Amino acid sequence: MASVKLTKVKKIYDNKVVAVHDFDLDIQDKEFVVFVGPSGCGKSTTLRMIAGLEEISEGTVEIDGVVVNDLQPKDRDIAMVFQNYALYPHMTVYDNIAFSLRLRKMPEDLIYEKVTNAAEILGITEYLMRKPRALSGGQRQRVAIGRAMVRESKVFLMDEPLSNLDAKLRNQMRAEIILLRQKMDTTFIYVTHDQTEAMTLADRIVIMKDGYIMQVGTPAECFDMPANLFVAEFIGAPKMNIIKTELLKENGKYYVTPFDTKIEVTGEKGAELARRGVESGPVLLGVRPEHITLCREGEGIPTILEVNEMMGSELHLHVYVQPKEEGEEDQGEAKEPAPVDPASCLIVRVPTIGLTADQRKNMAYGAPLNITFEGKVMHFFDPETEKNLLL
Amino acid sequence: MSKQREEAQAVMKRHMGLKASARISNTVIHIVLVLMAIIWLVPFVCIVLQSFRTETNPDGTRVTWMVPYIVPKKWGLDNYVNLFKSDFKDWYLNTFIIALVVAAVQTFIVLCMSYTLSRFRFKLRKGLMQFMLILGMFPGMLTMIILYRVLKDLGLTEAHAVPGLILVYVASSGMGYYVSKGFFDTIPKTLDEAARVDGASRAQVLFKIILPLAKPIVIYTVLTAFMAPWGDFVFARYIAFGDSSGMNAAVGLWKWLTQDMINLRYTMFCAGGVVVAIPVAVLFMCLQKYYVEGVTGGAVKG
Amino acid sequence: MKRYTDMEYLRLSKGRKFLYKIAAFFCAIPRGLKNFFLGIVRAVVNFFKSIGREFADIFTTFVKGDWKTKLSYFVMGFGNIARGQILRGLLFLLFEAVFIVYMIVAGAKWLSMLPSLGKVGPHEVYNPVLDQYTTEYGDNSFKILLYGVLTIFFIIAFIYTWRVNIRQNKLSEQIIKSGKPLKSGRDDLRSLVDDNFHRTLLALPLTGILIFTVMPIIFMILVAFTNYSGINDGYANNLFTWVGLDNFNTLLAWEGAGNVYSATFGEILSWTLIWAFFATFTNYFLGMFVAMMINKKGIRLKKLWRTILVLTIAIPQFISLLYVSKMFDKNGIINGLLSDLGIISQNIDFWGSTAHNALLPRVMVIVINIWIGIPYLMLIATGILMNIPADLYESAKIDGAGGWKQFSKITLPYMLFITGPYLLTSFTGNMNNFNVIYLLTGGKPINAAASSAAGSAGYTDLLITWLFKITTGEGAKYYMASVIGILVFVVVAVISLVVYNLLPSIKNEEDFQ
Repeated sequence: MASVKLTKVKKIYDNKVVAVHDFDLDIQDKEFVVFVGPSGCGKSTTLRMIAGLEEISEGTVEIDGVVVNDLQPKDRDIAMVFQNYALYPHMTVYDNIAFSLRLRKMPEDLIYEKVTNAAEILGITEYLMRKPRALSGGQRQRVAIGRAMVRESKVFLMDEPLSNLDAKLRNQMRAEIILLRQKMDTTFIYVTHDQTEAMTLADRIVIMKDGYIMQVGTPAECFDMPANLFVAEFIGAPKMNIIKTELLKENGKYYVTPFDTKIEVTGEKGAELARRGVESGPVLLGVRPEHITLCREGEGIPTILEVNEMMGSELHLHVYVQPKEEGEEDQGEAKEPAPVDPASCLIVRVPTIGLTADQRKNMAYGAPLNITFEGKVMHFFDPETEKNLLL
Repeated sequence: MSKQREEAQAVMKRHMGLKASARISNTVIHIVLVLMAIIWLVPFVCIVLQSFRTETNPDGTRVTWMVPYIVPKKWGLDNYVNLFKSDFKDWYLNTFIIALVVAAVQTFIVLCMSYTLSRFRFKLRKGLMQFMLILGMFPGMLTMIILYRVLKDLGLTEAHAVPGLILVYVASSGMGYYVSKGFFDTIPKTLDEAARVDGASRAQVLFKIILPLAKPIVIYTVLTAFMAPWGDFVFARYIAFGDSSGMNAAVGLWKWLTQDMINLRYTMFCAGGVVVAIPVAVLFMCLQKYYVEGVTGGAVKG
Repeated sequence: MKRYTDMEYLRLSKGRKFLYKIAAFFCAIPRGLKNFFLGIVRAVVNFFKSIGREFADIFTTFVKGDWKTKLSYFVMGFGNIARGQILRGLLFLLFEAVFIVYMIVAGAKWLSMLPSLGKVGPHEVYNPVLDQYTTEYGDNSFKILLYGVLTIFFIIAFIYTWRVNIRQNKLSEQIIKSGKPLKSGRDDLRSLVDDNFHRTLLALPLTGILIFTVMPIIFMILVAFTNYSGINDGYANNLFTWVGLDNFNTLLAWEGAGNVYSATFGEILSWTLIWAFFATFTNYFLGMFVAMMINKKGIRLKKLWRTILVLTIAIPQFISLLYVSKMFDKNGIINGLLSDLGIISQNIDFWGSTAHNALLPRVMVIVINIWIGIPYLMLIATGILMNIPADLYESAKIDGAGGWKQFSKITLPYMLFITGPYLLTSFTGNMNNFNVIYLLTGGKPINAAASSAAGSAGYTDLLITWLFKITTGEGAKYYMASVIGILVFVVVAVISLVVYNLLPSIKNEEDFQ
């Protein structure tokens, strides 16, 4: 029930390592913000600075307009769920959840009401008298959330709360957090390294790398218009294909030439390029795997299938473009095949439903596949700055 | 074909051999362990037996000196009776008081120190730890004289040695923070953080979260602190300075084994040793689990 | 020396690899030394730089500060009180008052006498009231030195507090300027259980260490530069004085007549090192061996064996060691047993009290130390052995390693890695192992050649027991003991420093984690 504002927040450790650079962010009341990024990007450090568990080297953190830099965590009115749950091992589940209320000298019957209420919402009523060690991972997670819930604090912080759960449970808890959020109606700051969690939970995503913010935006914005190469590759699974190629401007139309194939940039993307007056030159071309389609032999880009991952409703095909043969073909002993150039590897996502049984059978190691993609789904990045050319 | 069978047989044989050799080696180890147990127990058995030895010479005087045999020729409780008629009861009481007070205060100090060094990151933390490491390299023996003089000025020597001893034992006990700091380090820091976010002050974190979890190390600290004063005779002797009423049991008994006393007091020393060893050893054995946990960093649950 | 790249090194033969490593080790020494001294130089430079900064800050604070701050330079805490921080201000003021009163009443006197350590010895004075001569004890050098040192401590503490007082004024001015409220006395008190809880917790332990460890050690170091013998007990012979480096010369002058100290010191130091080596490593390997025996699969009554061994830890050493020493007496039980069994015809003089034989007693103390030490090491080793991940052994077995290979390639490296720091402390601990030596032999048999040196050193005496004899026995020479004490410190510190920097667990902290 509060806004959080970070202004030029910086974290410098004793060994002069800068973990977070000039972090600026305005979080609205009741917003669900997710910090996402690879490990070591400073997302947890930022969260811990908001919580008061880490000293703020420079800049200010405001909660509800009050600068909290010098406040102890207990005085900031926040609740937090930790990655490894941090349940007090010597207390029962009930005492764990009641701990913060008791510290606030709340009367016991009120505590009882709040704890049982939270336990009911989370479905842990029957475990209230157990010690944490007698609970499963998912149950512990619920207790940890319950402990934070009863505080009814201004800000709800979650530090990778699902990363210790197995995949199935993680999906389930993710859905529960969405439900919880609707019930609690407070400001959430959530840290994760998993882009799926970020996409599904967030109102706004903050993507971080090496202590810098890469992009702030809604999940759709980040997916459709990644600010730079890092965001493009980080958001979406399997990750976006990046092809080093040339952008050509001919007669007011734009073409790209991946693997010696000329494809016109059409739709909004083409119009935007023209509007910005982008000139010909080298470019990093990004195409999401689901935007690549298979086509008939003789059309598109000829590739060779390396790995075929059957995902159920779709196939993930790892293909590579064979380099042009130089000189005559080898007739004699099979030479050691040249290692595949990673730059020529692409991932293609194909829905199984459109494939005939024959086609599927033929998709085995070494099978030739021709692929193509449309001009309107392309992303363009500057090879030097790695910034999105259209942003 | 036959070669294969031979190989298979060889493997079988080796297998059988393995089992047999394991059995042999286990038997050997059991024998070694029994021998070791005997070696480790003999001195204690001897001392107990000697403490019951009440032989007399033909002229009626007691044979109180060392004899080259183990099993007494005549048994009795005389040594114990005499023991408690002598100054020993004062020494015993002194030691007991010292041990109790030291156990309480030292535990408090050690816990303060180790908790702080484990949990707080203040500016001089590293420097402080290095400084204490360096202090520990000076031979502590040499500070004895000055401490004696200081205590003497305070009137805490000789007959009043008990409070003086307590003071000295307790004062520097902060340097022995190492084991319990190691234990505190194993309690996850996120527990502290969770409690602080939950609204606890640093002091509340210590009393409500950490101490209840640190029970094994608290017991370990109490136990070691309680045991140490029973064994100290160097400093205690110096502080008591020959005054019998200020001695602890170790000093008194040690004195009985010096050249001029040993022939009169040897069997009483044995009885005294038994009386000193029993409470300490019983306590130790009861709490052995915690001691082992402390020494092994929690890997062995005694 | 030719440096190999990693790939080149991997292609060397086993022997060459070994030689290369040794060569690399020795080549690294000069660099290590250089870094060490450079580090010292840098530390000194930084120290003076920071002092300079402090002075600059004190000066600018005074120039730029308001009148409250300026007055605080003379009346400590004035600024705090004037700005409403009554509690802090009063504490500063109280401290200043106590300091000034102390300096006037006593401090100045002790300080002024410190350079000479007193001039007037005990003498007779005519007392006209009683009409007789009474003894005046005169100056007491010991007290002068002791209280002189304490006064210097106090002055340092005062200067530090004064500096804190100034810094606080500066901070307060800044805070007021930025428009925030200052912390109240209530805030200060509350921070003692929260923000500044560590200060509260450390106050008592550190005071104890300061008074009962640091101060005596400083005193001891100072005594090495005096001729204080340790026996003058405040009455007859109260005076001693500074002698500069004379005591060090006495100990370290290797030639010259009547120089018993240097030879004795050398002899005892070498035995101390030999003893520490054997005491540490015999215990270490045998303890590990026993732990492995007890933990082996198929061994029964594990707990019983462990408990029996642990009994030696439970029973105070002065009982067990004194008793064991009597068991091995020339007329003790062991000799009685051996002659009853007909193994010996003549009693063995285990402690060499008559034979003046050094070897047997030395071996005996090492052997009995094993008896004392194995249980402790057994516990530690058990703890570590249980922590070695079982999959390491499983994968080694699958790779085809037998029992011995598993021990030498997994168990031993793991143990050494984890216990490296422990081995070091146990080595230095054994160098100073007073109990075992003193209770078993008391340092005997007496070393005839060295006995004329103070303290009548014996063949089994360690430096620490020798020190004890020099400080407490008849003809005590505390000043010599202090010199030796300082040298013991130097030896221990050098060994620790060198070994510590070579320890794998310090160098590659993550290897086994």
